[in-house]
Amino acid sequence: MKTLTFIAITLLAGAIAGAILATINQGIVEPYIDAAIDIENQNAIAAGELFDPTEYANYRIWQKGGEIAAGTILGMSLGSLFGIVFAYARPSIPGSNNKKKALIVAGIMWLVLFLIPALKYPANPPAVGDPETIYYRQTLYIAFLAVSGFSALGLAFVYRKMGSMQSKKILVPGVYAAIMIAAFVGMPPNPDEITAPMDLVNTFRVASAFTMSLFWAMLGLILGAFWDRLKPHETARIRVA
Amino acid sequence: MSFPALIFMSTGIKKQLTKAVTSVPKVAVGVLLGIMLFGIFMVGYDQGHLFSMAQGEPAYEDMWMHEFYHDMRHAAGFPCH
Repeated sequence: MKTLTFIAITLLAGAIAGAILATINQGIVEPYIDAAIDIENQNAIAAGELFDPTEYANYRIWQKGGEIAAGTILGMSLGSLFGIVFAYARPSIPGSNNKKKALIVAGIMWLVLFLIPALKYPANPPAVGDPETIYYRQTLYIAFLAVSGFSALGLAFVYRKMGSMQSKKILVPGVYAAIMIAAFVGMPPNPDEITAPMDLVNTFRVASAFTMSLFWAMLGLILGAFWDRLKPHETARIRVA
Repeated sequence: MSFPALIFMSTGIKKQLTKAVTSVPKVAVGVLLGIMLFGIFMVGYDQGHLFSMAQGEPAYEDMWMHEFYHDMRHAAGFPCH
């Protein structure tokens, strides 16, 4: 395998998908973040805190710029994991080209690392989280992600070991579902009470899930397209013993 | 060389080739895993930890990275505030 090409296209695909995610978020998710921050500000003003609208507007522009940087870094990070999984899984994934194969892998990773964790611990806009519980909530989120991710990884090896057994197609997803239902029921809920309007919270969640889902699809398509073009798996130094 | 011996040899070579072509370089896996862990920590979890290495305790008050990556943290579903 061409090591440098593999690393380069993996990081580039992640950076592009992440930058597009952040750009789309400016239009789709930001209005809800702004609305939620307005509620926070109204609460702060009501509590007698000083508030400078001009300074605040500049601060928000800075934060929205930060989102583009954050999207690119997040894209490269999730893209790195995706690249590794795709490189190992590619030979056993069905599909006539790498775009189709990559979309299948991205779909599974979206389910395991985004959708299922989001069902248990959904995204929240500003005005919801309590700073006092941040470490506890981060621990819960990582723990749930880890249960989901490592179960899927372990089961992928089991799936491969089961060879041509037809029952694996039902058995392996069934075991994963059982583990996740147990974790869903067994793990404590998000401790924070939601005082912001539920309408706002729910539309924010739908908007954020929509753009994150787009991100995973783009990540798959972009890395698949690079892979089809540059074929990093093909050239390898074959040592003759 | 007998025909079965030839078949045996070619299967052996084929196996070797398949292995050489499909193996994922460990160094690439290491580099990418490192980037993943560092990047996710920075965007999703840092509450002043990284800056505190240079800045000391005030970094936990400023939370520069938390504030800079704030909007994406919310939008990507990471716990925030």
